[in-house]
Amino acid sequence: MNAHPDLDESRLVEALKRGEQAAFTEAVSTYTAGMLAVARYYVDPANAEEIVQDCWVTVIDAIRRFEGRSGLKTWLHRIVANRCKNQLRTSHREITTDFSERLEPELDSRFKASGRWATPPKLRFDESADALLENGALSDCLDKHLGHLPENQRSALILYEAHQHKSDDVCNILDVSASNLRVMLHRARQKIFLMVETFQETGEC
Amino acid sequence: MLMCRELAGIASDYIDGELSTGRRLSVQMHLMMCRHCRSFIGNLRASTELLRGHSSARVEQSVIDRINHCVTEALSHRPEAPDADPDSDR
Ligand SMILES: [Zn+2]
Repeated sequence: MNAHPDLDESRLVEALKRGEQAAFTEAVSTYTAGMLAVARYYVDPANAEEIVQDCWVTVIDAIRRFEGRSGLKTWLHRIVANRCKNQLRTSHREITTDFSERLEPELDSRFKASGRWATPPKLRFDESADALLENGALSDCLDKHLGHLPENQRSALILYEAHQHKSDDVCNILDVSASNLRVMLHRARQKIFLMVETFQETGEC
Repeated sequence: MLMCRELAGIASDYIDGELSTGRRLSVQMHLMMCRHCRSFIGNLRASTELLRGHSSARVEQSVIDRINHCVTEALSHRPEAPDADPDSDR
């Protein structure tokens, strides 16, 4: 972990502005995952890769206009989101984010009619998340389940958790209302919870 | 009185500090009395935290390589950058 991430970022931005190839190589490997997460929210995976690649080429010139108000990551994510939204506008595809229920059906079935738990959570996590992740099998399992989440839920979760974007930023990048974002995050988290619970209990993914 | 099922539905909002004061207090009251829900909230939080340390949405090296190749090409065909950018809003 770098003690001065901001300094690090401004050094990288300056090098990008000078068009240094090494800086682009570094930036591409650092930021592509997040950009793909954004793109896959809007378009299918093959298209997403193409869009992200195009965006990087655009960045070569656009970076000179970057002023650092939003942070490089957010700026890049917005570029991808805007490009996807433009493409969708021309192909008239609508994005639906309609969730009426906050509870995952599998979790919902674990309550009695009275609203109390019929099948309560089976485990307590006494280990920290770090310790849990050192279990390579769990980490692989998490990969697999992230891969199975609906694209919109996965993107929301990744932007919010792994990339630590603020809610406002995620809403802006993914073009969703705050309340829809809340539901997407919650649905995704419940699925990850159910996955970890099964894994802890049975060792199976 | 908040029931377990209802609490489970707003658990993420509680974890993220997105509940109104009244709502938050009723969750806290419930959690004091209900170990199952304490366990649920704890587990949900821990599952979510797994993502922070996780290389989420890992990208295949081949994708990175392809993009890098493309960027390198574009960089090499680029005319010398002007010192001042007329499009800048600075
Ligand atoms: Zn309860």
